[in-house]
Amino acid sequence: MSGEVRAIFEPKSVVLVGASAKERVGAASPVFFGSLVHNTLRFFKGKTHVVDFSGRLDGAVKNLDQVPSGCDIAVMVLPPKLVMKNLRKLFARKVKAMVLVAGGFDQHQLEELTRAAAKQKVRVLGPNVLAGVINTTKGLCITLERGLMPPCGGIAMISQNCAVGTAMLDRACAYSVGVSKFASIGEGADITETDLLEFLTHDKETKVICIYLESVRDGRRFLESIREAVQKKPVVVLKGSTVREGVERNRIFVAALKQVGALQVSDIEELLSVADALAKQPCMRGNRVAVVTNVSGPAVLVADVLSREGLALAKLSDNIIKKIIQKYPNINIADWVDLGIDANGDRYKFVLEQVLSDSGVDGVVVVNELKSTFLKLEDVQEAAKAVKKSKNTPVIDIVMCGEDCVLVRNELRDKNVCVYDSPRKAAQALCALCSYGKILKKVGK
Amino acid sequence: MFSVIGLAAAKKKVTELLSSVRKEGRLELTELDSKRILAVWGVPVNRTELARDLSEAIKAAREVRYPLVLKIASPDIIHKSEAKGVKVGLTSELELRQSFDELIDNARAYKPDAKIFGVTIQEYLPPAREVIVGALQDLYFGATVMFGLGGVWIEVLKDISFRLAPLNAEDAREMIQEIKGYPVLADIQRAPPADIDALVNIIQKVGQLAHEFPEITEIDLNPIFVFDNGKGAVTADARIVLGGRK
Repeated sequence: MSGEVRAIFEPKSVVLVGASAKERVGAASPVFFGSLVHNTLRFFKGKTHVVDFSGRLDGAVKNLDQVPSGCDIAVMVLPPKLVMKNLRKLFARKVKAMVLVAGGFDQHQLEELTRAAAKQKVRVLGPNVLAGVINTTKGLCITLERGLMPPCGGIAMISQNCAVGTAMLDRACAYSVGVSKFASIGEGADITETDLLEFLTHDKETKVICIYLESVRDGRRFLESIREAVQKKPVVVLKGSTVREGVERNRIFVAALKQVGALQVSDIEELLSVADALAKQPCMRGNRVAVVTNVSGPAVLVADVLSREGLALAKLSDNIIKKIIQKYPNINIADWVDLGIDANGDRYKFVLEQVLSDSGVDGVVVVNELKSTFLKLEDVQEAAKAVKKSKNTPVIDIVMCGEDCVLVRNELRDKNVCVYDSPRKAAQALCALCSYGKILKKVGK
Repeated sequence: MFSVIGLAAAKKKVTELLSSVRKEGRLELTELDSKRILAVWGVPVNRTELARDLSEAIKAAREVRYPLVLKIASPDIIHKSEAKGVKVGLTSELELRQSFDELIDNARAYKPDAKIFGVTIQEYLPPAREVIVGALQDLYFGATVMFGLGGVWIEVLKDISFRLAPLNAEDAREMIQEIKGYPVLADIQRAPPADIDALVNIIQKVGQLAHEFPEITEIDLNPIFVFDNGKGAVTADARIVLGGRK
């Protein structure tokens, strides 16, 4: 099963089928076809074939017969009638999988299509997938949004809705959060969320799986797949459709997800914050967080948020406190470690090393501001070094100013550091690390 | 929870009870039927005997012993309190004689065409903390168990928790601890803690019943009296509903 789903994510060759001239409304429009061709030619590292029924695009052929046999994926940017008409020709080309971009298939067409595809052992994604499939390492970018390609990383995303999926991808790009693979399911005539989840569970590049769900087919199998997955990697679910399905039904859904060890978030922002931390950081063994800051006021807000989310402030051991004070007598250690506004990279480095060596610390939050302090942009590299050295304790960075945060994120772009622009997002991320620690303990890992 | 032989025997017995109810053309089981099934399934219920007339009632009362609870027994009257069909804490045969006729009259007034089997004579349970355990078949996931404290906790505060069945003891325990009203059961209050282990057992059993019998669309144990730690929990009223055609 997952061997066939693999063709969707790891094709060596892709054939894009559409029409560049004939004006159509909706997903089969030539504008979308143009974007898809653009994305594939720009990013895809494998072989691309384009079939343009209008015969206008450079390098495109006009007929499916002219495409070499054995392509891995065919992406159909055609209205249902034309898809059905070309089905036999497509199967004659021995494709392994196909993505149906346009929606609007009637029940009869869908049944005929899935029956024929099953007979040919061709897996179908869709119909109605406008944001289709992404595999960052292969440069595969089957989306209708021009140039929407997040950086490489450990987060896999599955979405039951294309526009929500697009919003998830857009934020990943905006926050430089690395993505391994992405797929949206559309109407899910064949490939379902469970198929994708099972594939991603065994995918080496994927460190965390995020799913946007509105409903589920074969609920029990889906839950069992999550139970399997969380033994290997965390699964984060954003569940929509509470209003439509009713509060009680949704509560049962939420309880079921909890029972099998899925982590749950309440919006796309939280999804990104949480997934970023889970992809890059070790999970927490307890809930004690040490805060190391160069600005004391914001540390007050950070401490408040941490406690509101059920985390505790770590109490450093006397021995560690003594070591810090001996070297830097002006450092103030109470609920958090206040390095002072004159702190530079060296001071961060020394203190972070000490704090990370304290067995009473389950996680570390670095808080910093560049504005009105003596901290230079390159000094934030010390946080990255601490992250690199720390194998069992997560370290995350909160930059209290928005503009500063963009600068710091850019500075640490290639480093495995989670940089947040708000204490709330950081607290949500730490909570997820804590919850996943508990889940692993429960399943005995 | 069950030995393999125990489970097979219990399943057989429950299947028989359910099919006899269906044969009578009913989908909503009476309190007595529901309690019989629960008892077979290993869920503690208070002693409940059907009395078709006064002389049977008097005889049953001597066996169950005073004080006792008297409830109307009718397949057509689900909400017994609403029909003024419940008397709690009868202490003598005199009270029983008066209450018997009163209950039958009340039922006739409430629903003149109701089929009346008689009354049930039930063991009286001393005051305890009251909880509710239920089950339903969810559209996506099938057998699902529900837990909550009785009364306003559920009706007003919607303070309930869910888990899919079958569930292990740890899941059941989490489910109990998850509700906001949990301190009422824990030793945080001045009273000794309630018998959580007994509740865990009931939750697991009810879950397994719904899981083994998908034709059961609703189970409602309301209330369950939970006594102090080590003293158990007993179902005082129960309702089971079957799905599909009669």
